[in-house]
This record gives sequence, structure tokens and C-alpha cells, in this order.
Amino acid sequence: MDNPYVRLTHEFNDGRLRAILASGQAVVLYRLAMVSKDGDWILREESETLAHVIATLARHGARYRYGAPLDQRWLAHGWSSHFEFQEGGLRVRCDFVTRPPRVSEEALRALWEAPVQKEAPVVSLSVLAELKKTNREKDYAVIGELARRMDDPRLQVLYSRSARDLLRLSDQHPTIILEAASERPLLSRLREGRDEIERLLDQERRALIRKNEDRLDRYVQAASSWGAEWPRLSRDLAGRPLPAAHEMMVAKAVELLPQEA
Amino acid sequence: MTERRDEFLSEEDLDLETLSSDELDVYWRLWLTQAQITNDLDRGDYSHGVFDRDPAPAE
Repeated sequence: MDNPYVRLTHEFNDGRLRAILASGQAVVLYRLAMVSKDGDWILREESETLAHVIATLARHGARYRYGAPLDQRWLAHGWSSHFEFQEGGLRVRCDFVTRPPRVSEEALRALWEAPVQKEAPVVSLSVLAELKKTNREKDYAVIGELARRMDDPRLQVLYSRSARDLLRLSDQHPTIILEAASERPLLSRLREGRDEIERLLDQERRALIRKNEDRLDRYVQAASSWGAEWPRLSRDLAGRPLPAAHEMMVAKAVELLPQEA
Repeated sequence: MTERRDEFLSEEDLDLETLSSDELDVYWRLWLTQAQITNDLDRGDYSHGVFDRDPAPAE
């Protein structure tokens, strides 16, 4: 495949599974929509994986963008690392986490045990739906369509963004709706009709958006000293081979970027 | 009359489901090439992760 993000995923996974394609490019491989020109991956949180990814990116001439070092000490606390390179006239951006937001440890373990195979390993539909609970309105349309692709009715009722679909599901699977209501409170109010379900879906979306904004605000605040230093550090990193730049990133981050946000 | 349903994505998006791997590849490459036109505008932006803006985006 000519998709640079699919090719990179295979390179990251040379010899063993280390990286699973997530978010926008997973949406593409699920054939849902063209939604992002960047790539992002969930990586195994272990030194061999991180060293392999740095070495792979170095072969492509990648440079660090503003972000955390690709190092377990920060990634384990939910930080993200960001890289960029040019290839064949394209800007290729690579974003990495090891602890994706809103994904439980159990779901994360399942991801590594049985990743979904498309043109490359991708996150499951339910993990993708969790990743899409961002502060962008458009991502909730993607979740709505993802829910329709899910085979398990329990997952459909947990992720559906459609009042009509939820009413149909409540007719077909009343017991599942009852059980899932503890995880998704609006499911206990489906009898109130379409208008009310639509209002509750809007309310739920806004609450999720605010929750994600609050989460991101914590990281932005925790990175204030790191951000202030970045213009100088990025000049120092410029032109250095990625492994050397990585060492400098780590050394500076130890001083300025707290591990916990 | 067919029953109306809530719509989330465009017909163009939903048609992707019918594409073979090679067709998806060609379409994706065209889309990605076209999307490069906004590279200057989103130079400092982030679409994933916990950072929202590069304080010193590279030229």
C-alpha cells in the first residue's frame, strides 16, 4: 500500500507487534472517512519499542515537534510525543502515546493480544470510539457511524449517537439497554421519546467535550516551563540526527517537564 | 418510502466502504496530496495527543 502511515506501521512492527494505528488513519482503514493527514499510534510501553521507533523515524529523517520525549517516564503518565518529516512531497506527522485517553487497562491489554488487522494493525471500533471522544464536534459524527459498524449490540447501545437507532435498539434488546444504563445514563431515559433522547445526546456530547478540554488543560498547564524553553531547545535540536536530538530532549525534559500532569 | 435515519457522514465518505485496498490507496493518496495545501495554516497545530499548539513551529 502506498499510504505512508500504513508503510510506517509495518516498519514499526518489523519482527514483532509494537505499534497499532489509531484515530484518523484507523478511520481511513475502516473506510469511514478521510479525516486526518497525520498519523497516530499506540505503542507498547517498553524501551525496545521506543528505541525501534526512534531508529525507524531517524531513517526517514524525522525531527521532534513540540511534545514530550518518546520515553516511558512521560508516556506512562499520558503524555504524547510528536515527530515530522517530508517524504515524496508530503508532510508526514507521527504522533505517539502508550496510554491513550479513556481506554481502560483491560481494553489496552486486549488491543495487544488481538489487534484488528486491516491493511495494518488498527485499534478496535470501541477503542476508536473512545479515542474520538475529543473536544471536536466532528469526531462525534464519526462515533455515530462507528457504532453502526459494531457487531455487538451492547457496544452499539454504548456508542450510538442516533436517537432513532437507540429507539430501535431498545425495542430489539431491552435487557441489554437495562444493563448498559449503568455505564451510559441516557439509556435509562429512552422511554421519554426521540426529542428528549436527542437533547440528552447533545448534553452528553457537550459534557464529553468539556471533560476532554479539562484533561488537555492540565497537560498544557503542566508543560508551561517546557513550552517556554521550546523555542530555544528546538533551535538546538535543529539539524541533529534524531537519536542525538532524543538524548537532548530527555535531558532537558528531566529538568522542565513534570512526568505527572 | 424508505425510513429516514440520522446521518453522520457524507455519501462520499460512506462510499469508501465499497473500495478495494488498492482503490482506497489511490483515493487516500489523492486526498492526502490535496490536503497538503493547508500545511502552512496548520503548521503549529496538533490533531492528536495532549499538546494544542507549538510555541515555535518550524518554518
